[in-house]
Amino acid sequence: MGTFWRLLTFLRPYRRGVIVSFALAAVAMGTGVLIPFLVGRTVDEIRTGKTNLWPLALAILGAALVRLVFSVARRLIAGRVSLGVEYDLRNRMYQHLQSLELAFFDEQQTGQLMSRATVDLQSVRFFLGYGLIFILQSLVTIVVAAVVMLALSVELGLLALVPAPFIFVVAFRYGRRNRPASQEVQQRIAELTAEVEENVGGIRLVKAFAREERQLGRVRDKAARVFDQSMVSTRLRAFYNPFIGFLPNLGLALVLIVGGTQAVHGEITLGEFVAFYGYVQLLSGPVRMLGIALGMAQRAVASGARVFEVLDRAPQMTVPEEAPDLPPGDGHVELRGVSFAYEGTSEPVLRDVDLDVPAGRTIAIVGGTGSGKSTLVSLLPRLYDPSMGGVLIDGADVSEVRLDSLRSQVGLVSDDPFLFSDTIRNNIAYARFDAPKDAVEDAAQRADIHDFILSLPGGYDTLVGERGVTLSGGQRQRLAIARALVMDPRVLILDDATSSVDATTEAAIKRALAELMEGRTTFIIGHRLSTIALADEIVVLEAGRIAERGTHDELLETSELYREIAEKGAPDRRFLTRETAEREVAGL
Amino acid sequence: MRRLWVIIRGEDRRGRKLRGLIELLKPYRGRTTLMFVALILATAASLAPPYLAGRAIDDGIRAGDLDALYVIVAIFLAAAGVNWVATYAQTYLVNWVGERALQDLRVKLFRHLQRLSVGFYSRNKAGVLISRMTNDVEALNQLVTDSVVTLFQSTLTLIGTAVILVLLDVKLALVTFLCFPLLAAGSLAFRIASTGAYRLTREKIAWVTAYLQETLSGVRVVRAFGQEPRHEERFAELNEDNRAANMKTVYLNAAYFPSVELLSAIATGAILLYGGHQVVSGGSVTIGVLASFVFYLNSFFDPIQALSQLYTTYQAGMAALDKIFELLDEEPEIVDKPEAIELPRVNGEIRFEDVCFTYGSGDDAALALCDVDLTIPPGMTVALVGPTGAGKSTFVKLVARFHDPTRGRVLVDGHDLRDVTEKSLRSQLGMVPQEGFLFSGTIRDNIAFGKPDASDVDLEHAARAVGAHEFISALPAGYDTEVGERGGHLSAGQRQLVAFARAAVADPRILILDEATSNVDVHTEGRIEAGLRRLLAGRTAIVIAHRLSTIQGAGRIIVLDHGRVVEQGTHDELLEAGGAYARLYRDWAEQAA
Repeated sequence: MGTFWRLLTFLRPYRRGVIVSFALAAVAMGTGVLIPFLVGRTVDEIRTGKTNLWPLALAILGAALVRLVFSVARRLIAGRVSLGVEYDLRNRMYQHLQSLELAFFDEQQTGQLMSRATVDLQSVRFFLGYGLIFILQSLVTIVVAAVVMLALSVELGLLALVPAPFIFVVAFRYGRRNRPASQEVQQRIAELTAEVEENVGGIRLVKAFAREERQLGRVRDKAARVFDQSMVSTRLRAFYNPFIGFLPNLGLALVLIVGGTQAVHGEITLGEFVAFYGYVQLLSGPVRMLGIALGMAQRAVASGARVFEVLDRAPQMTVPEEAPDLPPGDGHVELRGVSFAYEGTSEPVLRDVDLDVPAGRTIAIVGGTGSGKSTLVSLLPRLYDPSMGGVLIDGADVSEVRLDSLRSQVGLVSDDPFLFSDTIRNNIAYARFDAPKDAVEDAAQRADIHDFILSLPGGYDTLVGERGVTLSGGQRQRLAIARALVMDPRVLILDDATSSVDATTEAAIKRALAELMEGRTTFIIGHRLSTIALADEIVVLEAGRIAERGTHDELLETSELYREIAEKGAPDRRFLTRETAEREVAGL
Repeated sequence: MRRLWVIIRGEDRRGRKLRGLIELLKPYRGRTTLMFVALILATAASLAPPYLAGRAIDDGIRAGDLDALYVIVAIFLAAAGVNWVATYAQTYLVNWVGERALQDLRVKLFRHLQRLSVGFYSRNKAGVLISRMTNDVEALNQLVTDSVVTLFQSTLTLIGTAVILVLLDVKLALVTFLCFPLLAAGSLAFRIASTGAYRLTREKIAWVTAYLQETLSGVRVVRAFGQEPRHEERFAELNEDNRAANMKTVYLNAAYFPSVELLSAIATGAILLYGGHQVVSGGSVTIGVLASFVFYLNSFFDPIQALSQLYTTYQAGMAALDKIFELLDEEPEIVDKPEAIELPRVNGEIRFEDVCFTYGSGDDAALALCDVDLTIPPGMTVALVGPTGAGKSTFVKLVARFHDPTRGRVLVDGHDLRDVTEKSLRSQLGMVPQEGFLFSGTIRDNIAFGKPDASDVDLEHAARAVGAHEFISALPAGYDTEVGERGGHLSAGQRQLVAFARAAVADPRILILDEATSNVDVHTEGRIEAGLRRLLAGRTAIVIAHRLSTIQGAGRIIVLDHGRVVEQGTHDELLEAGGAYARLYRDWAEQAA
């Protein structure tokens, strides 16, 4: 119930619009209810032989015109309110999500979040925008009609109202039972879709192993499941809909019998009888609507609870008020006693790490899988906060400076870089939107991707991503490198940043990278000896601790662990790595 | 006017597509007929009440005849009962037939998709193909179920109502019909306008959703580069676009629906005026008839609105049908010749006889392989080496017969691949793709993919052979571990090993392997190398190779460049020859130092 009231607060900025549309709806419905009454009066006039029916006809027309004007106004205002609420809700959700720290997203499935932001939001706004109005409209219609009917004849009025509660209950129950049934249909369609997706992705395998029949069997099963569930939904619909249609007829029959008898005995006029019949016809719609609207309200509350779950989650990465920018400097990086464990895990990934990197140094971090390399570097742009200890850049603790100033000075290139659906230019200039054309092209040149870009039909304006050109892993990495270079950051982090680039291209980039790393604090995580060799110093991580530190030659001599890594270094066995194909295509 | 007619009719091809749709319904003739019977019954029963009410007024109330009244009410209730039962039957049947037809269509589409060649899949985006089978089939759903009912029911109701009204009183009927053209035209205009408007809203919301999805997927990058404000701004823009598009539909709806209500009231007024005058001046119209007319007005307006709604569903359904038929019209590139023979158990000798292969045709043609003429003896491991685009994948695709050569022949054990059935070839073929693609399911399921009738013992044997057994048995659920979508629950190295086991259990005579380039830790790397060695032994293997150990251990290295075979030989031979391979080796060795 608390959720219900909280949902209503979204209407607060539109108070006036809501009240006005309620008033308009009330008048519109009220006038509409007059019409059967007027029709009845007309019939009586006809009965008494009056030929001048114009006044009544005009009265009907007048009522209808009033209803039109108020209806139109109501729809426009209510529509505006509803869309306004939707707009607000969406923006609020989006902004809130952007304020949350990365750790939040690690725990969530994108699908779930999307569902909150689309399906659940929709449910809430339908109710706030339309559901409330429907409830009001229906109530007004029912109440006014009931009053008029009772005024005409108490017994007949009561009788005519008898079917109403039944219609309401049945409509409501139908909604309650139907929703889970149709959701299950959607669920099964989703399962079928997933099966098809998999098959399209793995078609080469299916053909190579000649397993078409097997896959067809699986799809057949899933399609049959969709059918079965659709029939469950159908049976519900086939039962309830005609049932709901029958009930008003029952009411009409009652009016015919009782009202007809009363009219024969002169207790009510023929006109009043006609009016009653019209009212029963009129009422079935609103009563059904009430049942449906109540279902809408229930769903909105359930969805609202889920939406609030997200909105109530407070951002946990905070920056003190009036935090200063990152102080000027050349990128002196320090880690003091840093320990870190991912949320929800007990095993720390980093244990008591002490690292002092003077400005301009290039440090290579090596270690086995899970030794904490990527985690360590992600602390520098403050993607995560350490559980213990502190990270300092140029003397300032990164948790005490403005995030945007910090992040504009730390550039990160990872091994599977994400590009946005946008032009190549905008992707490269991502961190510095106002970067001049030269800066962008210069960065692309140094990343050895400029020529490739020019070879594309759209050049720098070519769209990449979902709706655009699909790039290979190596091409994406080079773009990501260009993206980081445009930033001209104090601290550069290359996390396995050339894993998909073949040896020849890497050689070209390496020259550029070496040039760039000159005088810039750089952290390199890589597997290739050739990459590691670029560093001034190497740090060996093992189980979250710094095991060794020194130059390549020093470590070869002193560290067995390092020797092992260097000699068995897997990628060095790569003879001629070619650019990997995009993820979609499985294999050849 | 003509344009309007064209819009309503659609193109000529539509005739063919509608026939195709009806084909789907053919197996269910019986139920379909029953459904129509139920529909007619239900419609007839729904037309009765207003007429009966009118008779109740004339014969019952005005005549003061209570018995007549009771009889009429009894008939009224009976009609309502018939309506109930008939509507139940009709709803059930129409959905049953419709959903069955869709199910058949889904299976048919999928089977067709399976037959299409690998080239087709490369040319078309996966998302588009999937959309055919899901979104487009769903769009037909409405068309085949509700729309059919609405079309017939509404039309019948309209015609039935019109007939009854004319029979009751011609002149009054004509007065009533006066509003019809205006209503029909208005409804159609509204539908046409709102179809466009709603399409726009769907587009806009798709943008909003896509943007949201993207920023969630790329949240790491957004945070790392601190670009939140920019994204918020852009989102607000897209949100605003959506609002504007929706506002248009609000205007349209506000213009249309109240107007229809007004029209209904005007019609009521006109009927009362004219009809009332007739009654009073002693014309043919009785009050009962007048009442019937007023009550029938609803049965007029609702069907017209429902029919106009059909327009949107029809458009959407036809568009979907177009796309589905486009897909069904695609022919597979590779088909078995009518006289194709079964390939007997082969030793695995592969021969390329003057083979050339070109992708595409005309201006788009790209020469991928040319003048390839070589023989690979059975049981040899061949390593394909060369830069990107040299033709390595093409070579391998020709062996698997994913394509036929443009010129020349590819032979296995002396049989031209075009002369044998696809199935008999592929059943002797095995493949390990670069990415270790696994299907969702258990590890057991995935290994068994190579040989469906394999026993658990066979599966374990294969796993042991490639060195996968250790890590599998170390998992809590062992062989019954769920691997997740595309094998996502396992690490890259583990996926590779399972893929090896899958190929091993199939025990193919010819193995095609595309070496993965992802980096794995030292121990897994060692296991993979060992497993690979065992997998390659005892069969002809063609490997797109990256590992030095694989290349050095190959019986023959084939160096490709720009679609041509530049060199062939063992590692030592080629180094001595000092040609292309020796250069590549030297470059790499310098890199590694």
